[in-house]
Amino acid sequence: MKVRAVITGIGVLSPIGQGKDAYWEALQRGATGVRPITLFDPAPFRVRSAGEITDFDALAYLGKKGLRDLDRSTRLVCSAARLALDDSGLIVTEDSSRAVGVAIGTTFGSLHSIAQFDRSGLLEGPRFVNPSHFPNTVINSPASQVSIRFTIKGFNTTLSTGFCAGLDALSYAADFIGLGRADAVLAGGVEELCEETFRLFHDLGYLSGMNGAGPVSRPFDADRDGFVLSEGSAVLVVEDEAHARSRGADILAVILGCGNAFDPEADSAFERAGRGLRDAIERALEEARVRPKDIGYVCSCANGTPGLDRMEARVLTEVFGEEARRVPVSSIKSMIGETFSASGALAAAAAVGAIRQGFIPPTVNHRQADPLCACDIVPNAARSRAVKTVLVTAADPYGQNSALVVGGYNR
Amino acid sequence: MNDRVVITGLGVVSSIGIGWQEFWDNLLKGKSGISPVSSFDTTNHFTHNGGEVRNFRAEDFIPAERLPFMNRATQMAVASAKLAWDDAGLTAGDAAERAIGVSHGTTLGAAQAIEDVDALLIQQQGLRKGLLYQMPTHTAPSAIAREFDCHGPNFMFSTACAAGNYAIAHAHDLIRMDRAPIVLAGASDAVSRIEYTGFNQFKAVAPEKCRPFDKDRKGMIPAEGAGTLVIESLEAAVRRKATIYAEIGGYGLSCDAHHMTTATVEGISACMNKALREAGIAKEEVSYISAHGTGTVANDKMECASIREVFGPLYKGIPVSSIKSMLGHTMGAASALEAIACALIVRHDMIPPTINYETPDPECDIDCVPNKARAHKVHIALNNSYAFGGNNASLVIKKFLQ
Repeated sequence: MKVRAVITGIGVLSPIGQGKDAYWEALQRGATGVRPITLFDPAPFRVRSAGEITDFDALAYLGKKGLRDLDRSTRLVCSAARLALDDSGLIVTEDSSRAVGVAIGTTFGSLHSIAQFDRSGLLEGPRFVNPSHFPNTVINSPASQVSIRFTIKGFNTTLSTGFCAGLDALSYAADFIGLGRADAVLAGGVEELCEETFRLFHDLGYLSGMNGAGPVSRPFDADRDGFVLSEGSAVLVVEDEAHARSRGADILAVILGCGNAFDPEADSAFERAGRGLRDAIERALEEARVRPKDIGYVCSCANGTPGLDRMEARVLTEVFGEEARRVPVSSIKSMIGETFSASGALAAAAAVGAIRQGFIPPTVNHRQADPLCACDIVPNAARSRAVKTVLVTAADPYGQNSALVVGGYNR
Repeated sequence: MNDRVVITGLGVVSSIGIGWQEFWDNLLKGKSGISPVSSFDTTNHFTHNGGEVRNFRAEDFIPAERLPFMNRATQMAVASAKLAWDDAGLTAGDAAERAIGVSHGTTLGAAQAIEDVDALLIQQQGLRKGLLYQMPTHTAPSAIAREFDCHGPNFMFSTACAAGNYAIAHAHDLIRMDRAPIVLAGASDAVSRIEYTGFNQFKAVAPEKCRPFDKDRKGMIPAEGAGTLVIESLEAAVRRKATIYAEIGGYGLSCDAHHMTTATVEGISACMNKALREAGIAKEEVSYISAHGTGTVANDKMECASIREVFGPLYKGIPVSSIKSMLGHTMGAASALEAIACALIVRHDMIPPTINYETPDPECDIDCVPNKARAHKVHIALNNSYAFGGNNASLVIKKFLQ
């Protein structure tokens, strides 16, 4: 029989709350994390607000030691890992260390460090660049620092599949558990807010508020005009069921299945995409042995990009058929904003909250329905409801698509 | 579950050859791909040599209208995938019938695009959209999948200088788990100003030649390249009557969890041991080790100590060579190119040399196959790779036997 991968701990750093309980409470409340940018000077841009975690204090989570040379992404993911370990009660010892791994999704997590290092070489000359900043230019630096800090020796993997990377890290972890390669994996995603990432999405026209009005994250709304860029990290302890039970862990949920599919038709506006997300969802449902009608909630990847939200709504209608309007489909990105490679992990953390606490997070900022997004988007207010099984989705304009099915734990 | 996973196609873009045949011929000849860096100004660096792919013409492989949206690493990645695809005899029909996967690795795939943006911003110039589209890390696996209409799983591993092995390892898992019948696995990296400056500041770059395991070794040489392997289940390969180069026996990953840039014997040894255990291979059976072998004082010493640790008294009898002596260090692409070399080694029973070798180092007293290729029966090859962050990966490549 296949080894089951369960979730036994969650650590969250998000613009709407830090720590699992505060995060779940904020999702129920319908909090929003959009605020004026302070991490860099936003004056050159048409959008000046983002989902910045203004009250993030790495010192409080990690202490002073070894903090100095760590960039913001690394501080965020190490803090989330600390919270996840504490939440799960998993103690990594010298003996158990080789059976524990790390899998983190990040794509632009090191971009600021990379660009800063390069600019220093260009402006001051290559012989004046600070060598102690060079290790921060590898994309696996945040994940590696998690291993270094918590002495995790089994393996250390960084996945960079854009919007899908957070979910991909979780499915990678579940596969490692399923194949017997590890007893536990710290899996999740991270992205920091920085000028370089902001400029990229700004200049490519993905951001809400390009017309001068303040940015608003309103997925599925007729007036949506792009996403609010945000930062954050979520790390989940994914564990072998037998291992978790033997140590008496509180099992929060179980990863039932995952699916991953590429969409060669994908385009930056999501006008032609669709087959890939559908394939990913169908593969995840099949692996989970779950029928569409068993899904109690879809934690959607819609982020306010007009084409993406429409594409996902269409795909869900195809997959769910007659059930489509009965399944609540909400986007927590309406509250958090778009955390890119961290978003899948934050969504999975929300899915576990929905299962454990019996609520459907709302899609906030909703004003006007879009007939092309004809789902039950749980507008503006959370709904109290027992949830057994959640589908989490992710789609990237470069063509990657991922889906994960998370279920309540029954012995 | 598919028990057996095989390699059925090889594609190479390297400084010593484009296409596996030229690459292989030059590996056996011991040809060096090192030359003065031309893609950026090295006047103010301590060193000036690199391993650039001088004769790579992206337009030979990719339609001109797509090139402005691809960074150099992605262009090389797509070219290597195209070579591997053709080598494996795959057709559009194969892609239509089944969901082919892509598993790719890189250290800093988009480095050149990031560097172009940095330079333009300093000069206060505008940024064209094509350049911005080149910036994400996952453009290479996306471009490969688009090229061949691959609907399967699509992954990008950014595990620095071990990324190629990570990507191949995961392709192997995807096939074992029936997630995809065929996977294009590989890695790519382009020569980058950021890498060049960083390694220069670490005083880790050799001024002239890369001479792994030599007592007078002076460091690594930053380089570029791309490699793709077509990986599939034995069943699928037999069904489509594919040429089978080699079999993937298994792999091991480990993390030093010690320091961002200093490896540990414990971590590297654990990685090799895991790979052997998973592949069900006894130490006596290993007939070749493709070393990480960067040519830095610290790496080679650490790697040799780890080989001694793992293989005990057997270690002097196992040939261990580093093709980085010829190619330089192609970063994430390195272990993919080395895996391709391993597949050819077990197929042809020939071992490429470690070139530039002159003075033995008592701390590296392995048999490094100095300077000349050697005919040697190789059933089992172990492909080692280590990365910044202490991310280690070893892959077992076996001679294919029915």
